[in-house]
Amino acid sequence: MAYQLYRNTTLGNSLQESLDELIQTQQITPQLALQVLLQFDKAINTALANRVRNRVNFRGSLNTYRFCDNVWTFVLNDVEFREVTELVKVDKVKIVFSNHGNT
Amino acid sequence: MASSANSNPVPKLYKSVIEDVINEVRELFLDEGVDEQVLLELKTLWENKLLQSKAVEGFHTEEQAALQAAQQQQQQQQQQQQQQVQQVQQVQQVTQQAQTQQVILPPQQQQAPQQQVIVQDSKILQHMSATGMSAAATAATLALPTGVTPYQQLITSQGQILQVVRAPNGAQYIIQQPQQQILLQQQMQPGGVQAPVIQQVLAPLQGGLPQQTGVIIQPQQIVLASGNKVQGNTQVMQAAAMAAQAGQAATAQVQQVQQAQGAAAPQAQPQQQAQPQGQPQTQAQQPPMMLQVDGTGDTSSEEDEDEEEEYDEDDDEEKDKDGGEDGQVEEEPLNSGDDVSDEEDQELFDTENVVVCQYDKIHRSKNKWKFHLKDGIMNLNGRDYVFSKAIGDAEW
Repeated sequence: MAYQLYRNTTLGNSLQESLDELIQTQQITPQLALQVLLQFDKAINTALANRVRNRVNFRGSLNTYRFCDNVWTFVLNDVEFREVTELVKVDKVKIVFSNHGNT
Repeated sequence: MASSANSNPVPKLYKSVIEDVINEVRELFLDEGVDEQVLLELKTLWENKLLQSKAVEGFHTEEQAALQAAQQQQQQQQQQQQQQVQQVQQVQQVTQQAQTQQVILPPQQQQAPQQQVIVQDSKILQHMSATGMSAAATAATLALPTGVTPYQQLITSQGQILQVVRAPNGAQYIIQQPQQQILLQQQMQPGGVQAPVIQQVLAPLQGGLPQQTGVIIQPQQIVLASGNKVQGNTQVMQAAAMAAQAGQAATAQVQQVQQAQGAAAPQAQPQQQAQPQGQPQTQAQQPPMMLQVDGTGDTSSEEDEDEEEEYDEDDDEEKDKDGGEDGQVEEEPLNSGDDVSDEEDQELFDTENVVVCQYDKIHRSKNKWKFHLKDGIMNLNGRDYVFSKAIGDAEW
């Protein structure tokens, strides 16, 4: 069962919105939309594991941390994300990951 | 693609994911007996949303690039002509066909002073007769208060004329014409389709216009309107009626509009709109009276007079308190209106930055946290990034 973690991303949200539109026009059934989302979960997990090969460092201050329903949520302030190519600074960032296990 | 070889791997990754998903889902669609066309539609919708979010760069297929280029050319031609009537006609006929819509916004090279944003059907643009829509458009324009001039006309492909009007104080807001909505409802698909279209139209519009833009329309209410023809139309017509009645209260309307933007409850909005202006419509929409267990406004059964007299002194205090509470209840929506403007400022900096990932190790010593993360997608300042590994430090 792949993680449904990635549904709340740009990619995942746009897919869900598109599916909702098709459901509202009754071109697909909700059941089918759910199947599509499950397929998306698998695909995104595989793609991220295999197709991405870059590292990022970040540093900041921790504002809050929460662990609920096996999901960690951290809110960091004044964070710098440093990649080899570029540096991104944000005032506030939310990091979400699930506690399904390591590696 | 225009990007160089060393650039962001995100677009390629997303496109490969989309391709994989669509291909794997094709079988599912066929099993369900759903047409391939729907699958292509899903893909198109998905890619369009990604493009609109501007989190990723680059077009996907050559077909989409050609489509967008053709539509941009058509839009530029129409902008040069500046013939609103013709576009209204085209929209009406597009509406009659009841086809799927694509929200396309022209690049920000529009000609000043007048801009026309048209939401077109991706397939056909046809020339139409001028009868019904022009009359409605004229009536709608006349219905506007004198101090307000139609600045732009936003026309959705479902024929709703959204007029972006400029109020005397310089603020712009969009008024939906409910009359046309009723006229065209017979021809339109279920109202649910309108909502995402309008959302898409309005959201980029807010970013594109330099001045403050507000929206009176509630997409949720529009859905209700098409279903009930009561609640949504009522609210929109109230907004339009207020716009027509109080031309001087443009400022208040901007506040209302801002409040409308914040996701206030539908019932709270009429209160917010009514109270600053103190119009007769207020009485019908006041919040329900709070139950008073004792005091002169006692809603429970009456008790002995002696007991009521003893409570009189307390009544005054409680009345003040209740009045204060009511005042606070009334004030909270007004204060929340201030909050909405703050949220707008934050929205200017795009979405809340979110990182979604898995973890290798999370470590903490005292208040020092170390994160070892992997396989993540980040959305920072509106743009998307990915990583296979991330290491971070934070202090709590």
